[in-house]
Amino acid sequence: MVEVNDTLSGPVLIIGAGVAGMTAAIELADSDIKTILVEKKQTIGGNALELYKAFPTDDCFYCFEGSRFRPGIRKCFYRSAMLDNPNIDLRTNTRVDEITGNPGNFKVKLTTGPMYVDPKRCIMCGLCLKRSGAFSLISPQCQPQAVFYDPSLAEESVKEIEKECPTKAINLNAQSTEEQVEVSDIILATGYTEMRPVNMDEYGYGKYPNVITQLELARMLDPNGESAGALIRPSDGAPVKRVMMVQCVGSRDENYNLYCSKICCVFALKHANIIVNERNGIKTTVVYMDIRTYDRHERYYREARESGVRFVRGRVHLVRPNPDGSLDIIVYDSLLDRYLSYNIDLFVLSTALEPSEEDETLQRTLGLNTSSGFVAPLDLANDSVVAGDHVYVCGAAMGPAEVPESVTQARAVVSKILQGRQ
Amino acid sequence: MMTENKSKVLLCTCGKQLGLDFGLLEDNVGKLKLASTIVVHDTLCQEQGLSVIAESLKENNGRVVIAACTNQKIQPKIDEFLRNRGLNPSQIQYVNIREHCAWVHEDVNEATQKALDMIRGTLARSALSSSYETARREVPAHVTVIGGGIAGIEAALSLHKFGYDVTIFEISDDLGGHVAKLPVVAPTGKPGREILSGRLKALENSSIQVLTNTRVKFIEGEMGNFTVHYSIESDEEQTLTTSAVVMATGFKEFKPTMMDEYRYGKSPDVITQFDLSQMILSGNLKRPSDGGDVKEVVMVQCVGSRSEDYKRDCSKLCCTFAIDNSLEILKLVPDAKVRVVYMDIRVPFENEMIYKESREKGVDYIRGRVSMVWEEDDGLHVKFYDSLLDQYFETTPDLLVLSTAILPSDSLEELSETLGYALESDGHIKELYGKLRRTETRRRGVVAVGAVTHPQFVFESITDAQAGALIIHNELQGGKIERVARGAVLNVDDCVGCSLCAQQCPRGVPLMIEQTEAEDEEQKILFKASIETLNCHSCGVCQSLCPTGATQLCFLSNEQLWEQIKATLEGAGPDYPITLCFYCEECSVSTMDIAGTRHMTYPASTRFIPVPCAGRISIIDILKALENGASTVMIAACEKDRCHIGGTGNEIAQVQVNVAREILNAIGWKGERVDMFRMFSAEPERFVYAIKIMTKRAKELGPTPVHQGTAGKWVEVSE
Repeated sequence: MVEVNDTLSGPVLIIGAGVAGMTAAIELADSDIKTILVEKKQTIGGNALELYKAFPTDDCFYCFEGSRFRPGIRKCFYRSAMLDNPNIDLRTNTRVDEITGNPGNFKVKLTTGPMYVDPKRCIMCGLCLKRSGAFSLISPQCQPQAVFYDPSLAEESVKEIEKECPTKAINLNAQSTEEQVEVSDIILATGYTEMRPVNMDEYGYGKYPNVITQLELARMLDPNGESAGALIRPSDGAPVKRVMMVQCVGSRDENYNLYCSKICCVFALKHANIIVNERNGIKTTVVYMDIRTYDRHERYYREARESGVRFVRGRVHLVRPNPDGSLDIIVYDSLLDRYLSYNIDLFVLSTALEPSEEDETLQRTLGLNTSSGFVAPLDLANDSVVAGDHVYVCGAAMGPAEVPESVTQARAVVSKILQGRQ
Repeated sequence: MMTENKSKVLLCTCGKQLGLDFGLLEDNVGKLKLASTIVVHDTLCQEQGLSVIAESLKENNGRVVIAACTNQKIQPKIDEFLRNRGLNPSQIQYVNIREHCAWVHEDVNEATQKALDMIRGTLARSALSSSYETARREVPAHVTVIGGGIAGIEAALSLHKFGYDVTIFEISDDLGGHVAKLPVVAPTGKPGREILSGRLKALENSSIQVLTNTRVKFIEGEMGNFTVHYSIESDEEQTLTTSAVVMATGFKEFKPTMMDEYRYGKSPDVITQFDLSQMILSGNLKRPSDGGDVKEVVMVQCVGSRSEDYKRDCSKLCCTFAIDNSLEILKLVPDAKVRVVYMDIRVPFENEMIYKESREKGVDYIRGRVSMVWEEDDGLHVKFYDSLLDQYFETTPDLLVLSTAILPSDSLEELSETLGYALESDGHIKELYGKLRRTETRRRGVVAVGAVTHPQFVFESITDAQAGALIIHNELQGGKIERVARGAVLNVDDCVGCSLCAQQCPRGVPLMIEQTEAEDEEQKILFKASIETLNCHSCGVCQSLCPTGATQLCFLSNEQLWEQIKATLEGAGPDYPITLCFYCEECSVSTMDIAGTRHMTYPASTRFIPVPCAGRISIIDILKALENGASTVMIAACEKDRCHIGGTGNEIAQVQVNVAREILNAIGWKGERVDMFRMFSAEPERFVYAIKIMTKRAKELGPTPVHQGTAGKWVEVSE
């Protein structure tokens, strides 16, 4: 158990190891403050890890900031060495179960799922990967750099593999563990969840395989992904010739979320540009209400128009599947005041960015303000990253945020914590 | 070579899983003259292996060569282990025999030979290595903030809490900037004055120095020792010594006097949103022309924004600003008719709800453009096109409010000349790296917060300022800087004052200092470079450009690299043409490592040498590779505009490659033997593609003049 002596020197709990949480952990570590970085998934990186190319810089998403531990402006994510940073106690596959205690001295119960492979010991030598399909590499960029074991795919051979693992990193009998830690501050960096519009009949998501979301498209465009960057129809693997995207699915909509999800226009146009410019000959149409490419993101809109991406201001009226796997889509064009019919191969929904599932419990436990389901700052006019006494928030946990915003907010959080400890 | 320059070699088998002939490697490495002893270990990265490394540091003055998996993963762990035991890891050199050899080549013998060659090369680099340690430097714990708006105030308060002395320079007679003039600040719903008041009180109660009516003329020096030259009102120039600078000069509202179509500056009833804000704030919402009541208002969005003629990008804030002001008008004049003519309404996140509220309260939104504005006896006339109805309408509003573009503040360009930050094409301060380092600038020790880099909402500027304060605190460490002195070291005696380093350093570190104290009369007029190693980002651009070798990286001198090239290429000839690849330890090493992790395959007739940044490679380094038997030479660098060092290292490398090619063509050596490729770690196939091209060229172009014995040897001219 971690002991807290006083509120000025205790460790900081960071919930969520996406862009915001990692940045906060690295910055605090640089100032010699211990952190416990909790991530529910097996690999850290959050949503950003699945985004392929990043705006506004158009490079890959796999970078994190350089630090005193790994000097430089930025470093590739796979070599972030978060696991080796002496000030960061990284817990993947871990959930926050309960928070009690007082601000400045929180008692937090953490539950870690079975750690079949000890990431600190795994050297990715490849022995298990060669021998059994139960072991896999989530991605070449995954962090921690360790193999992942799926017990549901276990064969006889896994027991031998466990014995032969050169670093004895495998423990097939691993169980869930619980631990209570004491921390002086809590940073919420739980990010967002991309909405899966299974309940919106009009778009056929979940019903027609060729209807996907923007995050699913990002994975398809990623050369390290399953299709090696090729745009194919999920239904039959046939090459895609025509793409349609529709904006504001579940956003700016009284039945779902009233707010604008802020980054979907940029996200969609970034993808549209990649498709049109780098995946030859694929026609792309974007159906929108307002194109919201704020600030310098306007560049994506300019490039899209110049590259021949077609824009239709209006709404999708009807989606109808064809026997050949393609979709007929009828769109109302509000500028022409006319219904237009399209035949397309891939229909991409720019769905709303919603709060993470665990947010509600955390918000309730900590008695935080909320707005639209996200964490709201205690007093926005004063500080946008302070959510409560010794409780901070950064990144998409407080509403849709770009990578650079999440990074800046995480730094602001660390700035506040350090100022309070001077 | 002296015996003490030998290194111990540690070979790791990666749990006996690596497809290399370790027996052969052990035998052959043992025969190398620069290898002292060899240890073959199965898991160097585990506890027991780490102890072996620690023990090995005690021999050969700490020179150790580790041949294992990528150092990008194991080095932090090894360094941490050794530092905790008081050992200095700076003389460990790494060879990647996993991702760069065993995992990417099918033929075990070829992969083993490649590993052997690269170990030999690394031993040569190691033999000339010197150690570097943590250095300390004390600087004044004082920071200068330029601009007394919300961002500047917040930055000053944050820095003050961090324990720094702070001076705020404000050009106008009062603090508060634009925020002071806002009747309502989105999305808080509070007036600007209220948001400022607590902060202004905190300022008063602090020791922060506030200089209003003060103009900063220029700033010279470097992080830890800047001198601010300023004047208060029109008094004579004064100076102030400071360690870091926060640029927080905000923005300026575009005044569209040159846009004839809107009659701004001609008709008094045509105003900007800020003009309207001030009218609302003063409670005096009347027609400026005759003081008449305001019953009807037309607002026009994107005046000067999203326009090829003025500002190409969106100004981000104006839609929210217009909606807020519309609602304020309706509070003052409930039956007023407000129309907003727009292209796209852009209101992020919950500002959408304010947009909705305004529609419900009767604000009319017209998608289209204003086509004409004119004055008649009965007042202002506006004709606009509604693109949804495809119709023109004419109206006679009491006020025409232009939502004009947000432009960078004045004097940014002037200050950039001495302060050394870069500017965007739109005139704002360029962020060091748009994704992760938004508040930093090209120049170390200069941070930019708030609207000075791009339009930002008030709460975003506050966050920016808090983050900016952290960046400065990280750099200055309270005035007691402690950092590993790994970077460029200048031997000032060899400097000829050409200033190439000062001009081209991506972070603006070298300064040119006038040699006023030189004994020799002739030297007096000379400027010589000065490099603060602790401010250096260790890319080596200065080294590759320096004509005399005066500046060199302490961890990779010219001699070190040349010896490594020579040793790596020992035996390279026409029968097995070798492609030598210099790769940067940023995007390139990642791309190559990931190609390895994915077990992609490429020809083994390749030899790799790491450099911190592609900009470290000079023309001479390239020619040395050919001189020593390489058939082709490639440089793997970061993508265009995405140099990790600060933006230009890769472009400097491109210039070096271009010049090298010209030289080769001129002497009949075929310039295409040298090429540069851009790496991207999400696309590992880029590296495989590049290697395949260069190995193919190596075969097709045949033996080089060096192989044929027809080349004249390069001769070093020594004085």
